Amino acid sequence: MATGADVRDILELAGAENDTGPISKKDIINSDKKKSKKSTETLTFKRPEGMHREVYALLYSDKKDAPPLLPSDTTQGYRTVKAKLGCKRVRPWKWMPFTNPARKDGAIFHHWRRAAEEGKDYPFARFNKTVQVPVYSEQEYQQHLHDDGWTKAETDHLFDLCKRFDLRFVVIHDRYDHQQYRKRSVEDLKERYYNICGKLAKVRAATGSEPKVYIFDAGHEKRRKEQLERLFNRTPEQVAEEEYLVQELRKIETRKKEREKKAQDLQKLITAADTTTEMRRAERKATKKKLPQKRETEKPAVPETAGIKFPDFKSAGVTLRSQRMKLPSSVGQKKIKAIEQILTEQGVDLNPIDLVLVYELKQAHANCEYEQQMLQHRYEALLKASGASVPQSEATGLEGQAWPGVEEIKTEAKEQIIDVVGAPLTPNSVRHINTVTFTHAHPLISQSILPLVI
Amino acid sequence: MSGGVYGGDEVGALVFDIGSYTVRAGYAGEDCPKADFPTVIGVTLDREDGSAPMETDGEKPKQSGTAYYIDTNQLRVPREQMEVMSPLKNGMSTSLMFEHYNIPAFFLCKTAVLSSFANGRSTGLVLDSGATHTTAIPVHDGYVLQQCIVKSPLAGDFMSMQCRELFQDLSVEIVPPYIIASKDPVREGSPASWKKKEKLPQVTRSWHNYMCNTVIQDFQASVLQVSDSPYDEQVAAQMPTVHYELPNGYNCDFGAERLKIPEGLFDPSNAKGLSGNTMLGVGHVVTTSVGMCDIDIRPGLYGSVIVTGGNTLIQGFTDRLNRELSQKTPPSMRLKLIANNTTVERRFSAWIGGSILASLGTFQQMWISKQEYEEGGKQCVDRKCP
Repeated sequence: MATGADVRDILELAGAENDTGPISKKDIINSDKKKSKKSTETLTFKRPEGMHREVYALLYSDKKDAPPLLPSDTTQGYRTVKAKLGCKRVRPWKWMPFTNPARKDGAIFHHWRRAAEEGKDYPFARFNKTVQVPVYSEQEYQQHLHDDGWTKAETDHLFDLCKRFDLRFVVIHDRYDHQQYRKRSVEDLKERYYNICGKLAKVRAATGSEPKVYIFDAGHEKRRKEQLERLFNRTPEQVAEEEYLVQELRKIETRKKEREKKAQDLQKLITAADTTTEMRRAERKATKKKLPQKRETEKPAVPETAGIKFPDFKSAGVTLRSQRMKLPSSVGQKKIKAIEQILTEQGVDLNPIDLVLVYELKQAHANCEYEQQMLQHRYEALLKASGASVPQSEATGLEGQAWPGVEEIKTEAKEQIIDVVGAPLTPNSVRHINTVTFTHAHPLISQSILPLVI
Repeated sequence: MSGGVYGGDEVGALVFDIGSYTVRAGYAGEDCPKADFPTVIGVTLDREDGSAPMETDGEKPKQSGTAYYIDTNQLRVPREQMEVMSPLKNGMSTSLMFEHYNIPAFFLCKTAVLSSFANGRSTGLVLDSGATHTTAIPVHDGYVLQQCIVKSPLAGDFMSMQCRELFQDLSVEIVPPYIIASKDPVREGSPASWKKKEKLPQVTRSWHNYMCNTVIQDFQASVLQVSDSPYDEQVAAQMPTVHYELPNGYNCDFGAERLKIPEGLFDPSNAKGLSGNTMLGVGHVVTTSVGMCDIDIRPGLYGSVIVTGGNTLIQGFTDRLNRELSQKTPPSMRLKLIANNTTVERRFSAWIGGSILASLGTFQQMWISKQEYEEGGKQCVDRKCP
């Protein structure tokens, strides 16, 4: 297919474009020269502050054109660019001889090249890069590089291979002459090579400068490869076993965390109970000496680590104390019911904080009891499975011992509380109340706990 | 086309790939060989013609009534001075090339390296299953690791032998087409009815065998299939049958036999005619070869397993190989099988690699020129060719 340039060439017309210089990429792809001039002419005006962008756009636009009446040409921006071939004259090719500067023998080959490029260098010669392998002289070898495990011939062979294969040690190891020399591993070869390189660098470096030496740790490499080997040769059963073990470990850790969390919560409750009782004691002692008005001031100082937080009323003037006893809305229904039940049984109108504490301690206690039962059953089942027989009492004794502190503290705390609470009551009734409250509270609590635990 | 755009530089090189079954030859820079003919030569009885240059593999010369030569004129070489490139596993007679043919430059390269180049990789495990043997050759960075090559004789010729035995068991005679004058259609399974040609020349035993082999190879190529899982009688019985007709008119449906015969490639323990269990199946060949290599390069090798060779074109070969390898490798290893789908690419991948290599601009410094050969002798070939 003849293009305009070809026809002009045939007829030897002086064409419109006398640009017969070398064609660049720009000429073939997207040669739109007019576009480049336009960009310098447009000026942009800055819009004044305070004026809205749209208003400004209505008044002053960048292009200063009238709005388009015809559809615009979208071919410039969004079309894939097409190569414009055949825009210039044909460049002839020639079968010419060439020498490759990368070759040592200067052999002459022939190939097709553009006539314009005759005489230029062979473009692929610059890709001839080699790795710098150090060359040592006989003297240097005798002085510095002598080694018991390596003869000179072997070292020379190694360096010859290094040069041929550009330091690809896997290939060097493969082509190494194992019959003539000893059987060497890849690490041995590397070690010897890097040792020599390091020594040569030190010897040849100018005095005073510290050359950068690459240290090769053959022992580490050997161990690493052994480890890899073992890793690759694992059977599927071993892999499955490992995964199973990892999962078990994760389960154990989560259980441990849960236990710790529960213990912490328990501890918090106990400390809260302790502090309240202490405060109570302090208060009692104080009331004997001080005026009863002081009570009000000391009440808000009770640390609220457990139980319900009561909002403080910051109203000026006269307020009813009973307002402070109003339960905040964040307390759950069950708790409210439990509290009410306890209150009605006691028949006493108290500061609810302590009751809530009691309730929560009871909950925690029931929790622990339940867990203990569960673990005991599981332990027995395991024992039965393994065939060993352990007397019941021992097991219970053991586990009973695990929670002595807690129970003691609880009973202690309860007694103290009840003591404080039931100050006018007789000691007998204290015990009675203790058990009664516990047994009455228990079914309620156990009902509520069981769904929680499960 | 040269010009530095694709790194190509055309010097007009020739590429020869001499295999045990066919010879491929053509110009460098093209995508398939111009000449592809069987590696056999025919020598007539009374006059010993000069043997054609490619007989260095030691093919037995066949006696025949009519003489067949290798058709070298197909290349149509116009220029006298031409560089010659030939990918061979064993050393080709360099002196023959330089002295007899007076070529200006020469280069030898291993077929495995060229196959991997043709697939765009410089590192990989080349599994070449051709006519005479199946080999697994690890290639690292463009160099073959010679000490880790594993060879097994179970390949195309083994398949042909098994097919021949199958026909013997079915008591079907293999009749090559040159004998047949005419044939009648018969029902399935019934003996063939055909008429022999008259005035046939006295053909030799070897030539007759060669012709029968072509019939069997046709059967082998069209009917055989490798099953996805290790051979199972019940599964094989349910496979769809393939109808095949021999040149003499005998036609039959082949079902279970289709799967049974190539099973010998993967699991030689229950293949007929093999002595003992010393043979390795194809999967074992690959894993043994990789196992002998340095452990650092093993992931690289498994990440590009290149399947070449005419024998791998049996239906289902690559799927089965994929399955076997994924079973044998550790689960963390990334396994990737590279198998070109076209017949041309798989059979000629070594030739294509040679064509690519010879047309690269950066390769032109690697030729062994006549001058170098004269100075250095044969040792320079060993040194320069990887």
